Amino acid sequence: MLTRRSFLALGGMVATAPSWGALLSTNTDNQVYGSAFSKSKQEHFFGLFNEQGDILWTMPLAARAHAPVVHPHDAIVGIVARRPGFFIDFFDASSHQLIKQIKPTKEHHFYGHALFTQDGAHLITQENHYPSGQGKIFVRQWPSGEVLHVFNSNGIGPHESVFLNDQVLVIANGGLMTRPDADRKILNLDTMQPNVTYLSLVDGHVIHSVKHDDALHQLSIRHLDVNPQGVVALGFQYQGELWEQVPLIGLSSIHNDSIDYLTMPEAIRTRFKQYCGSVCFDSSGEILAISTPRGGLVAYWHIASKQFLGVDNCRDVCGLVATGRAHEFFVTNGLGAQLKTNPVQNTIALVKTHAGYHWDNHFRVVNS
Amino acid sequence: MKNVSRLIALVIGSSLPLLSTAGQWEGPLNGIVDKAIVQEYKSYTASALTLKESVDSLCKAPSQNTLNTAQNAFKANALDWQEVQWLNFGPVTYFMRYFAFEYWPDKKGITQRQLRTLANGNPAVMDAPKFWTSASIAVRGLTALESLLYHPDFQPLTSATHCDLLIRVAAHHFDSAQAVAEQWHSSSAQDWVFNEEGSDFDPEYVAFEQFLQQWLEHMSAVKDAKLETPIGYNSRVNLKLAEFHRSSLSLESIQTNLKSYRTIYHAGSPSLYEIAKKKEPALAEKFNQQLEQNVDIVSQLPRNFFHRDLNKDERIALAKPLVESISKSQSELTNLVTRLGFQIGFNSRDGD
Repeated sequence: MLTRRSFLALGGMVATAPSWGALLSTNTDNQVYGSAFSKSKQEHFFGLFNEQGDILWTMPLAARAHAPVVHPHDAIVGIVARRPGFFIDFFDASSHQLIKQIKPTKEHHFYGHALFTQDGAHLITQENHYPSGQGKIFVRQWPSGEVLHVFNSNGIGPHESVFLNDQVLVIANGGLMTRPDADRKILNLDTMQPNVTYLSLVDGHVIHSVKHDDALHQLSIRHLDVNPQGVVALGFQYQGELWEQVPLIGLSSIHNDSIDYLTMPEAIRTRFKQYCGSVCFDSSGEILAISTPRGGLVAYWHIASKQFLGVDNCRDVCGLVATGRAHEFFVTNGLGAQLKTNPVQNTIALVKTHAGYHWDNHFRVVNS
Repeated sequence: MKNVSRLIALVIGSSLPLLSTAGQWEGPLNGIVDKAIVQEYKSYTASALTLKESVDSLCKAPSQNTLNTAQNAFKANALDWQEVQWLNFGPVTYFMRYFAFEYWPDKKGITQRQLRTLANGNPAVMDAPKFWTSASIAVRGLTALESLLYHPDFQPLTSATHCDLLIRVAAHHFDSAQAVAEQWHSSSAQDWVFNEEGSDFDPEYVAFEQFLQQWLEHMSAVKDAKLETPIGYNSRVNLKLAEFHRSSLSLESIQTNLKSYRTIYHAGSPSLYEIAKKKEPALAEKFNQQLEQNVDIVSQLPRNFFHRDLNKDERIALAKPLVESISKSQSELTNLVTRLGFQIGFNSRDGD
């Protein structure tokens, strides 16, 4: 546990972190990735690895984490605690030191995801005000951590968000009301109303919001990604019965009043077990990949034609990022494997397996 | 200046491939397939045939006697289903057969509604070649058969239409059971896993891992959906959510499930128990005793456990030792198989 003195001392180190450019090549052959991982129920870490899957450094964490958050310029990478999360640890990628820890304000917790604005001046987090269940978007000054704005997320359970542009945040309001004192028990299954909201970061007003038809109100919108054309891909987690035939992936845009559901063969859809993990466009924005750890596969679509392309089988898979090469993805799973896939060339290759490592839900490129 | 080479110099930890496990799990895998799957599906198919035949007899000569015979055949078949219910893997996943065999919990009464629609419609639609493979899973199996034999909306003794529907559902149900049994007979568990990239991919290990995962998930279902939910252990009582409550099989179903777990643990040569006993003797024995305790405790529950003549507090007090015992079984099985080298659902059981 950090003491107040050591925490303040760490704060001064933020200003000394070098840029990513000074630390690492931005060559696509030398990308570096950050991910949380665990070795057991009690041993949790954050680490960086390279294109070859070699682990560059690791740091122990106090608890299991969920997704990294990468500063766009300075060589600083953070890791957000798993829901209900009460810390984000930030590390200097050059010195490998913990340089800052941010905690939620009173009666709030993190959802496992965060992001920096493109200028690196602000940190944005999705949070639960658990006495009310209201989803919140916090905008903090970086590196001070001072809270500048608190916006309503326009729903319950804002799990992940992405930037549509500098001024618009797209939020996946999952719809699930939970409280940290009730573990992950869903308190509003009968009334949940997930939505995707386009929020102004200038003043917090809702620019646009879309939800499912009432019959699909238990279809939690949990993860999302946006491509350069402004298409937002959505991954769902259905809270109803396993046998119900519901869509699991959708597309949204700020100009459309409804969600455009992507289809796939029913034999594949049932393998998802109503659960999408990560949502990720490739670097060209042409190909969408969705992982499902419960289904043990990654599925792909061509976005312009909305055509389903196929799947790669991979048990307990969840981590998914676009590499610097068009149509290529880097994939991690809970069995320690790292793989490269290209659904257009129909290739998949095991990069490395780290025995005893469980790569956690999401990972990120740190030097793109 | 710091650069990539510095980072590479700091590479830590070796990246070892998974140790080969080829052949190690052949004993318990084949044992479970033979004893807990192939043999049990054979029994399930046989009792589904008996059910089909007794339904045919009922509809040829409707009487309380033939109805009783059909209901008893239903009960025997539903309990045979409990022996194989733990495994949603392999042939039973085709055409949603697993959920069609038992559409439960049917919280919205969809089975009754769809059966009424079928009964009121043109029966010729059910003769279409692919009708049953594309029909709603709510009307294809045991849940529908239980409704037709026990629900007051359906009168097989007096309604030829209801009897005709009963005959058709029973025939389809038997066909499905037989198809699954035949597919298990002509294939191995390894045939039903999806091949993955990687030189160390071992279908035997992966199939066994899937079995373990299914077993753990079924333990959760027994504790949560079958026991806790209907009696309002953590919320409101709703005894209609109990499994096969119309035919009063809710308690016997749980008893059968818990007995089947012993079969799974001890099937094969060597069995999972025997392998575990060598590698983790204390854990192996502790789990074995927990499985025995589950069976002992559930056998002590009164026959009227799911009936209305007990109140909520009485039921919860009676259920508590069993809930705790099944919870311990889940933890102990998870610990045991983790120690044996299996990684059960790090991300897939995370739920976020």
